Parts: sequence; C-alpha cells; structure tokens
Amino acid sequence: MNIIVCLDDKNGMLFNNRRQSSDRLLRERIFEITAGKRLWMNGYSAKQFEDYASGFVADEYFLQKAQKGDFCFVENSDINSFMSKIEKIIVYRWNKTYPSDRKFPAELLDDENKQPNCFEFAGHSHEKITEEIYCL
Amino acid sequence: MKLKLLKISALLSVLLFLFCACNSSNGGVKDGTVENSENYIASVNDVPEFDDEQPFVAIRDNIPEFSESDLTAKSYEFYSELDSLGRCGVVMACIGIDIMPDEERGSIGQVKPSGWHTVKYDIVDGKYLYNRCHLIGYQLTGENANKQNLITGTRYLNMDGMLPFENMVADYVKETENHVVYRVTPIFDGNNLVARGVQLEGYSVEDEGEGICFNVYAYNNQPGILINYANGESKLDDGKPYEEKTESQSSETQGKQTYILNTNSKKFHKSDCRFAIDIKEGNKEVSQKSRESLIADGYSPCKTCNP
Repeated sequence: MNIIVCLDDKNGMLFNNRRQSSDRLLRERIFEITAGKRLWMNGYSAKQFEDYASGFVADEYFLQKAQKGDFCFVENSDINSFMSKIEKIIVYRWNKTYPSDRKFPAELLDDENKQPNCFEFAGHSHEKITEEIYCL
Repeated sequence: MKLKLLKISALLSVLLFLFCACNSSNGGVKDGTVENSENYIASVNDVPEFDDEQPFVAIRDNIPEFSESDLTAKSYEFYSELDSLGRCGVVMACIGIDIMPDEERGSIGQVKPSGWHTVKYDIVDGKYLYNRCHLIGYQLTGENANKQNLITGTRYLNMDGMLPFENMVADYVKETENHVVYRVTPIFDGNNLVARGVQLEGYSVEDEGEGICFNVYAYNNQPGILINYANGESKLDDGKPYEEKTESQSSETQGKQTYILNTNSKKFHKSDCRFAIDIKEGNKEVSQKSRESLIADGYSPCKTCNP
C-alpha cells in the first residue's frame, strides 16, 4: 500500500488530536494522483472530504484492509504495525512549522529513498505545498 | 524532565485584575466588545521548568478557558493598556478573515517594549537575543507597531514558542473562513520588566473547537543564555544564575526597587501608586536607581505612596 501524509517542517502531523492544517487544493491533488486506484482513510479524515460524494473508502480498519497498490490517507492512525506493507510514502509538506505533539517517523523519510524532482503547487490557504515521494 | 514548579497563579490574578479593569471601560476594543471577559479565569498553577528542548507546554489539558459568551463569530481585537511599568497585559481577539492583513508588515523598530535591550549572541539564530514580539501575531490582526501588543521576547519564544500557533490559526482561518478566539497573556514575575513566558489560548468558534483548540504556556527563554527578567540584562549561560550574586553584589542590590518617574513634575512613585498610572507616556520613566540617587537627581518622593 501507499501512504499519503501531510507534514510540517518538523515532521509534525497532529497537535492536541487535531490535524495541523488542511487545504482544499491539496485534497484535489490527492484525488488526482489516486485516480483509478482505491483511496482509503478513516472517519476523522473523511470529514474533510465530505464535499466529495465518492472516490474514497472510509473505514476505521483501513490500514488492515488496504491491498497492494491501494492508497491510504493517514492523519491520526498509527502505522507502526503496517510498516511491512508500505510500498511508497507520499508526503505533502506545508513548508512551515505548526505546533505538534505527534510526528511521523523520520527514519522512514530517508533521502536515499526520495524521488528527485519534487512537485510544488500553491494551495488555497498555503503559498507552497511540496509533494515528496519516498519509495521503500 | 525536571519538574521544578513555577508558581505564577498570583501573577495571573494581577493580570486578570488589570484585564478586567481595562476592559470595564472598553478601552482598546475595536470592532466589537469583550464585554463578558469578567468571567475570564486564567490559572497556570504548575509549569515545568524550561528544559532547552520544549519551547512550550500544554496546560489545563490543552483546553482554553474562554467563557461561552467570548465565543462569538464576530471579529474583534482587544489590547490592554500598558501598566505603570510600561508592560503589556492580556490581549484577545476573535480572528476572522476580515481583520487579517493583506499587506507586508511595516517597521516596528521605534517601539521599545519594557525591558528592551539590543544585544547579540553568536549562538542565537539571527544573532539578536530579543525580538519585539507581537502578542497577537501580525499575520492574524495586522497590528504593526502597537506598543500594547509588543513585548521583549527571545528569538526562541518568537520563532519556536509563538509562531507555530500563529501559523496554525492563520491557515485555519484562511482555509475555512471560520473564526478563532485567541488570547495571549504575558506572565511577569513581580515588578520584572521582561515576561517569563506567555499563555496562548485558541478555540475555533463555528466548529466548536474541532479545528483549533489549545491552551499552552510558551517560555520566554533562549537556550544557552541566562536572562535577568528584572531588567532584561543577559549573559551566556555559565551555570551561575543571576540570583546567585556575590556578597558585595548582593548588598548592592538588596532592597532595590523599581520607581516610576514623572520627568515633568520631578516626582517619583512606587510602581503601584495610582498617580504613577496616570502619568502621561511622554513624561513617564522607569528607574531602578536608589531613593537617594533620585533625590540627588532633583526628584522628590510622592506624598501619597511615600516611596
């Protein structure tokens, strides 16, 4: 499976059980890159996609159920038990620092695994969002 | 982590009093009111000692202490009047997209917050130890050189303690066009001119805290530097805190008091004297000279507070 995460400059994901940030144009980008594939997420993440009637599967056990080639949008789920299933990690960088009390494991973001030529785009509320892809 | 506790609830009580006193006249309220802020209760009983690794800590389970009526979906800003020592008090705003700035920030170098020193260290990012630190960040309300919104803050407080919260709130408001009630309380020890830290609280109104909800204490410290919070002096951390003075230094500084001078009338007052509060800003000076030195300088003691 392929993991999609949003991180700040310190690999932060959450603060006080809440996502650090969100952006509607980033959601569109996620649909773009997962077109034709299955996109999984849990109920917490599905709330920010509620304007989209379809195109994703919301399930609290999505990391168990995801198959090879599927995409999993991860915000507040623990991926430690599913490391061996991960094929690719797609990171969206906010390019700023937010408060965080939960971080993504930095050891998974090894520069040696990072694809060259990151894609950058302007979000709705973020000047620059960077898409990084790590192949494990 | 060491858990030597700082007892600062008494200070907050003073700040609460100042906040309510200022607010009762609605001084400084722009485009709205904070009329129910007498219900405001701030209490930070136990804050762990700064440990160089954590620019802020969550307090009160990260739940802000706003009253129901504070949580309006109408934008406003409130800045406390400076106290008799020239220090900032509580600031509060309901951040909406309508009051966020659309211009770059201008110069703020003309403002000298209480305890201000221009001092550089090689170990500080950007060299300068102190920043003129916006209590409510410029990106939230567009307040530029408002002296009621600027404190002497370390680079670490500004960039690591406060900016992440400002970023989070600003981007949330821009994305959702919802409102965030936001309050910053500077915490001063006694008559110190430099704050020990700030309490930051935020809560998103329309989604009832689902997007934004925090209550934290950010330290006004700088790793590797010791700060004398009484007057803003600083030195590289040599393991000897300012409190541990030599005997001769101790006798010099014992009983040292902060006086408020009226440079026009040539009177000097205790910092809590009601006449000190009324001195016009242009005629007011803060001094830690001895009583005798002030008299030698031509000043006479106030007959009310008898400093």
